[in-house]
Amino acid sequence: MQIEHDKVSGQDTTGHEWDGIKELNTPIPRVVTWSYQLTILFSICYWVLYPAWPYVTDFTRGLTGYSSREEVIDILQSSSNEREVSIATLFSLPIDELAENTAIRKQYETSASVLFADNCGACHGADLEGQTKFPNLKDEAWLWSDLPEEIEATILYGINSGHDEERYAEMTAFGRDEILTKEEISELVAYVQSISGQPHDEALLASGTELFEENCSGCHGDGGEGGLESGAPILTDNFWIYGGDAQTLSDTIWHGRKGVMPSWENRLSKADIRKLALYVYWQSHELEE
Amino acid sequence: MSTAHQKLERHSLKFTIMILLVASLGGLFEIAPLFTIDNTVEKVEGMRVYTPLELAGRDIYVREGCYACHSQMIRTLKSDVDRYGSFSLAAESMYDHPFQWGSKRTGPDLARIGGKYSDDWHVAHLKAPREVVKGSVMPGYGFLADTNLDTDKMRAALVAQSRVGVPYGEEHIENAIKDTAAQADPEAEFEDEIIERYGEGINIRDFDGNRDRVSEMDALVAYLQMLGTLVEVDALKKEELVR
Repeated sequence: MQIEHDKVSGQDTTGHEWDGIKELNTPIPRVVTWSYQLTILFSICYWVLYPAWPYVTDFTRGLTGYSSREEVIDILQSSSNEREVSIATLFSLPIDELAENTAIRKQYETSASVLFADNCGACHGADLEGQTKFPNLKDEAWLWSDLPEEIEATILYGINSGHDEERYAEMTAFGRDEILTKEEISELVAYVQSISGQPHDEALLASGTELFEENCSGCHGDGGEGGLESGAPILTDNFWIYGGDAQTLSDTIWHGRKGVMPSWENRLSKADIRKLALYVYWQSHELEE
Repeated sequence: MSTAHQKLERHSLKFTIMILLVASLGGLFEIAPLFTIDNTVEKVEGMRVYTPLELAGRDIYVREGCYACHSQMIRTLKSDVDRYGSFSLAAESMYDHPFQWGSKRTGPDLARIGGKYSDDWHVAHLKAPREVVKGSVMPGYGFLADTNLDTDKMRAALVAQSRVGVPYGEEHIENAIKDTAAQADPEAEFEDEIIERYGEGINIRDFDGNRDRVSEMDALVAYLQMLGTLVEVDALKKEELVR
């Protein structure tokens, strides 16, 4: 083994030789070794400054005592303090007065639309037009009235949500629970189609009317005119959540319905919920200038 | 030229020992934190083992690769907390084997999805995502609603979980198969038994809108509706959270 000096490159060889082939022992460029040493130095500083090493009962806290949880809690606290000032107007007046206030509407409508799309749009659609099973919020049909405070209560506590203050509404499964027969249900379907102005089977109407009075008017009101206290929809307006065709109506009466809207009380701030309630109200009510 | 390293690499025994030493350091750094796991996991109220139906749903979640697009880890960043709710605690995934933190969000984080939407929405969305969310790239999972859940395997599933440290007791394991079906029972006949075994606040109902069968959809929706709802993180004080 012989280490030689190569004049062309100015480097030594490794001393290894294979059939006359020799290898230069060129060192790694300085900049690479230096940056490697620097990363080691950096990590040592990091260990000293930041939480790093675990030991049996705890871990080293570092000189800065940094905690990502503490940091985010503080950031959230300070931003909510800032927000408190800007949202003070939202709680300065009762919600029904805010709803009719043009300045408030101008100030909050745009940001509330983003809030709505993020949280409510999945079910009710970003355009508020709803979809099957999830009510349209832009039409004139309301389950629990369109008063701003009622909308706010619905968002806060939800419908059939399991919250203590929930709005509870359940339509009985008249077919499945053997309260009505298949024939009686078709008679009811005919009646519901007649009061909602749809084509229907005249022959079934008379008995359908009677059945409706006995079984349905308690919640849906006389003649299906509705009752906002019970959350039972008005049946005469031809707005439908599940559908107004004969098959869907028949399914609804057979299986019953129990739509769920989640409670947002623990998910959104009081101010955000108020903004959403106002937004929903504004989208279906033109303000008088 | 003859450096210390050159000497070392020319001595086979010394060199072998040094290689073993350096390589074992790598292992040590991976293994050592596991010995301190007890003080990593917060002691918080509310955490409970998953019910067999939720566990079945979790198995489906893993089987279908949901973790490839959905994380279950709300980070300690304002943007994360603003969008998804309080940051995730270690305790909240203490019964996850394997954990579902994920590393990529093609879809949103699901750590606190429980209770955000109704069962009806989850079923409609899982069947045809684009019907309810415009522009979604999630595939449809309608077949889950048409597939009966294999409840018979849940006993073995609980045993497997208990072997890796999830505190399922005799009582849980013995009744696993019955409990799986009972949680999706619309009449909630065994409600009290499930509550006695697993605690208050368990969703017991028909999840998939089809009362005649316990489908894989029932299990997955039961799992999703539980996610992030066990620990009331908002009620914890700053001192309890900061570490």
